[in-house]
Amino acid sequence: MSLLERRLIRETRFEFAAKLWQISWIYVLLLCALAGVGYLALYSAAGGSVQPYAGRQMMRFALGLAVMLGIALIDIRVIARFSWLAYGAGVVLLALVLRMGHVGKGAERWINIAGMQWQPSEFMKLALVLALAAWFHKASWERMGNVLFLIPPALAVLLPVALILKEPNLGTAVITGTVGLAVFLGAGMRWWKLALLVALVALAAPIAYHHLHDYQRARITTFFNPESDPLGAGYNIIQSKIALGSGGLWGQGYLHGTQGHLNFLPEKQTDFIFTMLAEEFGLVGSLAVLGLLALIITGGMLIGLRCRHQYGRLVALGISANFFMYVFVNIAMVMGVIPVGGVPLPLVSYGGSAMVMVMMGFGVLMSVHVHRDVEFAGDRDEG
Amino acid sequence: MSTRRTGGPDEPPRDGEPADRPAEDRAPPSPSSPARRFGAPPSASIPRMEHVRLTAPDLARRAAMEKTRGRLVVAAAGFALLFTAVALKLADATVIDPLRPPPVVAMRRPDPPPPPGSLTSLVAANVDLGRPASRATIEDRNGQILAISLPTASVFANPHEIFDPAGAARALKSVLPDLDEALTTKRLADQSHQFVYIARQITPRQELRINALGIPGVDFEHTERRRYPLGRTAAQVLGGVDVDGHGVAGVERFFDARLRRDPQPLRLALDVRVQAVVRDELSRAMDEFQAIGACGIVMDVRTGEVIAMVSLPDYDANDVGHASPDERFNRAVTGMYEPGSTFKLQTASMALNDNVVHIWNGFDASSPIHIGRFTITDFEGKHRWLYLPEILAYSSNIGAAKMAEAVGAHRQQAWLYRMGMLSRLGIELPEAGMPLVPPLSNWKEIATLTIGFGHGIAVSPLHIVTGTAAVANGGTLFRPTILAQDSEAAPRQGFRVMRPDTSDIMRKLMRLVVTDGYGKPADVPGYFVGGKTGTAEKASKHGYHKHANVSAFMSAFPMNAPHYAVYMMLDDPKGNAATHGYSTGGWVSAPAAGRVIARIGPMLGLLPQLDNAAEIQASLAIPLEPGVPPGATGSLPPRGLVPLVTRAANPPPPVVPAFPPHDYRHQASLVTPAIALH
Repeated sequence: MSLLERRLIRETRFEFAAKLWQISWIYVLLLCALAGVGYLALYSAAGGSVQPYAGRQMMRFALGLAVMLGIALIDIRVIARFSWLAYGAGVVLLALVLRMGHVGKGAERWINIAGMQWQPSEFMKLALVLALAAWFHKASWERMGNVLFLIPPALAVLLPVALILKEPNLGTAVITGTVGLAVFLGAGMRWWKLALLVALVALAAPIAYHHLHDYQRARITTFFNPESDPLGAGYNIIQSKIALGSGGLWGQGYLHGTQGHLNFLPEKQTDFIFTMLAEEFGLVGSLAVLGLLALIITGGMLIGLRCRHQYGRLVALGISANFFMYVFVNIAMVMGVIPVGGVPLPLVSYGGSAMVMVMMGFGVLMSVHVHRDVEFAGDRDEG
Repeated sequence: MSTRRTGGPDEPPRDGEPADRPAEDRAPPSPSSPARRFGAPPSASIPRMEHVRLTAPDLARRAAMEKTRGRLVVAAAGFALLFTAVALKLADATVIDPLRPPPVVAMRRPDPPPPPGSLTSLVAANVDLGRPASRATIEDRNGQILAISLPTASVFANPHEIFDPAGAARALKSVLPDLDEALTTKRLADQSHQFVYIARQITPRQELRINALGIPGVDFEHTERRRYPLGRTAAQVLGGVDVDGHGVAGVERFFDARLRRDPQPLRLALDVRVQAVVRDELSRAMDEFQAIGACGIVMDVRTGEVIAMVSLPDYDANDVGHASPDERFNRAVTGMYEPGSTFKLQTASMALNDNVVHIWNGFDASSPIHIGRFTITDFEGKHRWLYLPEILAYSSNIGAAKMAEAVGAHRQQAWLYRMGMLSRLGIELPEAGMPLVPPLSNWKEIATLTIGFGHGIAVSPLHIVTGTAAVANGGTLFRPTILAQDSEAAPRQGFRVMRPDTSDIMRKLMRLVVTDGYGKPADVPGYFVGGKTGTAEKASKHGYHKHANVSAFMSAFPMNAPHYAVYMMLDDPKGNAATHGYSTGGWVSAPAAGRVIARIGPMLGLLPQLDNAAEIQASLAIPLEPGVPPGATGSLPPRGLVPLVTRAANPPPPVVPAFPPHDYRHQASLVTPAIALH
C-alpha cells in the first residue's frame, strides 16, 4: 500500500469507531493502574475507609477518564488552532484568581467554578505547552537559532510564571518555567542558551531569595537543616523521613503504617501520600509505584517520537515533562531532597481539580497519538 | 499535485526570511533523507521523485523535526537519570540509612566535658568563675528547653585611655563587621565621657579576638542574654525579659524572683510537641477562615495541668520588645469572651446535680422567649419540645434558658461561684484576668436566663476549660496550673464540685453532641471525643454584631476515661465555600479540634481504641429522646405534657445506667472551698 493510499484511507475513514480503536488502551490501562494505587493509598489514609477520600477520588477519576477520552477524539489540528485561545484564557483566570480568588493556606490559588475549586495554574501549564508547541510548530532549525524568534514565546512563559509567583506558589511557578523550558529545548533551542540561562538564574537566585515570603524562606532554610526547627517547618520533613525509615524493605503492611495512622505524618492524603505508601509497602512497593510512573512518562515520550508532526511532538514532550516534574518534585520533596512545596503526586494524591486537569493533559496526549499521522494545513510530509 | 502551497502566501513571515533562501539551494542534493525517514522503500519513491519538488521550508521543517527527535531522546534520558537518583535516594531513606524516631521522652544526659583549651571550655570557665549566677532555665514537662540564658559580653571603652581612636576603630571593625567605623572613631575621641559602649551582645569568639587585639582602654562587661529556642511557640506563656533580664510578662514575670534565686530549671506543664501541634492547627484554621485571632488550650483533666496554651497572633519571645499589644495579648487567660453554648454544659450539670431536672425532662422550645425588650431564639431551631439530650445536641438556647430558669438565680450563682467562674483563676500567669459578671446583688431574671446559654457573662477560655475538665473528670475541680505536677509522688488536691453520677451523664451527653449533634467534625475514630460547640456573637458598644462571632469547640477525650480537654477558638472567622458560609463553632473550630486530637493522642501515649470500639461506644451511648431509655425506670413523662419543673419539686434522683468503674486517681475529698479558687 502506497503512502498516498494510506493517507486517503485515513482521511476518509477516520471516524469515530476508527479513532476509538486508535486510542492506546494500554496507556489508559496504565493510568487506571495508577489511579488504583491512589485508591489503595487513600483508603489507607482514611484509616481503612472508603470515606471520605477514596470514594470521591474514584468518582473524580471516572469524570477525568471521560474528559480524557472525549479530548482524545478531538482532532489535534482543532486543538492546535485553539492553543493561543487556551493560553489567553489561562492568563485571564490567573489574573482573576489574584484579584478575587479564594485564599487557602496563606495563598490565593483557588477559584470557584462549577462547585469545585480550581487552581488556574494547573490549567495554565497545559495551555502554555499547547501555545508554545503552536509557536514552534513550523520553526526551522535555523530559525530556532534566531534570538528574536525566541523572545515572544519566552515572554509567553514568563507572564504566567510571574502571575503564579505572585499568588504566591513557588513550587508551581518553578514547574511551569521548567516545562516551558523543556518545550523550548525540544523545539531546538541551542544548548549554549540553556547554559547561559542556568548561569543567569544562579546569579539571580540570591536576589530572588531576598524577595521571597517568610514561609518560603523558612522552607528553604529548613530544607538545608530540618532539625533546626523540629516543631515548626521542619516537622513535616522529619516525620516523613521517619516514616520512610519505618517502612524499610518490605513495609509495615497495608493499613499498618504507624507513622501514617497515628497522624505523625502530616497531609498524608495529599502531599505526603507517597511517604505513606512507602511506609506501608516498603522500598519494594514504592519502587513498583515509581516504575509505574516511569512507564507512564516513557509512554508519553514514545507517543511524541512516533508522532509525525512537530506540534504533536512538542505537546507530547511538554505534557510528559509536566507529569514528570509533578512526580519528581513531589517524591523528592517528601524525601527532603528539595524544599517542601505543596505539590501533589498526580492521580494518587487526594484532590479533584488537579486530577481532572492532569487527565485533560493526558487527553491531549492521547489526541496526539490518535492523530499522529495527520497533516497540518500547509504541511507537506510526503509527495 | 502542487507542492508550492507551503511556500505560498499563507506563510508570509517565512518569505521575508533571508536565512531560508540558501537552504533552497542545498535542497536537491539530499532528497532521499526525508523519504527514508517516512519508511517508504526507495524503489517506490523513485518514480514519485519526478513529481515532487521538495521545497526549502519542507526540508527545513524536517531537519527541525529530526533535531526534535534527538532532543526528545535527550529529555527521556534526563528523566531516566533523575528517576534513578530518586530511586537511589529512596533506597537510602528506607533501607540503607533510615531515620529513626527520637525517643518519646527526651532524656537529659549530662553534657560531656569540653576538651581543654576549646572555646566552649573557656566560656564555661568564664561562667563558673567570674560571672554571677545565671537566670534559671525554663523547661517543658519533658525537659525540652524553652528559655535559657547564654553568656554574652558587651564591649565598652574609656575614651580617656584611648590613644588612637581611628586606629582602634579600624581594628575593632576587623572583628565586628557591622560596626560603624566613622561613628565609633568619633565616640572614642569624645573626651567628655568616661564610658562608651562599642557593641553589645557580642559572641564569645568575637570577645576573644577583641581581647587579642590588646587595645588599652577597651574592656568587656559580662552579661547574659535570654534566648527562647522555640521562638513563637508558647511566646505568651513564657512572656519575655527586658534588656536588663527582668521578666516582663508570662512565666518570666510571675516567677521572676524564683528564676533569679534558684538555679534549678523551672519545669512547666507544657509539652512543646502538643503546643506546636495546637499552634499549627490553629494558624491553619485562622488562615482558612480569615479569623483575626485564635486561642487553643489542652489540659490534663486529671491534674489541671495546662499541656498547651496558644494565643494567636503571637510574637517571637526573643524579641518581646517589638511585639504589638495584640500579639502580647494572651487570649487564653486575659481574653474575656461570652462563652456561648459551651456554657450549656454548666447549665445542664447544675440542673442535673441539684436534682432540678431529670435526664428525660423536656422543655418547650417551640417558640421564642420574650422577656423585657429581649427575645431568646434558637439557631436553626426545631420548634418543638426538646429533651435534655436534644437541647445539648441541637444547642437550643430556649431549652437552656428554661433549664436555667428552673435552676434559679441563687443556685446558678452558687454553682458558678464553686466552679470558679466568678473569680480570677489561680494560674501562675500575671495576665490571668477577672471575668465580667453581673453584680451578685443585681442578678436579674434575664441574666439567669441568658447565662443559661452563655451570654451576659464573659469568662476567659481557661475558665471554660477548667470547668469542663471538672464536668468530665468525675466532678473534681482542679486549680489550673502551668507548672508540671509530680502526680505519682503527691496526687493533686482538687475540690469536689459535683456527684460522679452527674459527671457520668454529662460525659455521655458530651459524646452525644459529637456523635449526633453539631460536634460531628471533631470525631476521631478510637478517641471517643466528646464536646460542645459554642458560638457567641461579638458584643460591642452598640449591641451584638450579627456577623462577627467567637466560635469555639470545647472537647475532652477519650470520654470513656477522660484524660485531656481540648479547647479551640477562632475570633471573628469568616465562613467559606467549604463551610457553606457558616462560621459557627461546629463548622470552623470542631474540625480543628478533631485534627489536634488525632495528632496529639499518640504523642501523649494514648493509642486509638479501635479493637473494642463498638463496646465502648455502646457504654457511652445515650439516645436523643427516651424512645427506649437504657436503664431508665419509672414512668416517663410523654412529650408535650412535661411541666416545667418548679424549684419546689424534688424529682427522684436520676437512675443512671451502669457505667464502667473508672479510676479517679486524683479524686479529692468532699471539700467545699470557702472561696472557689485561689
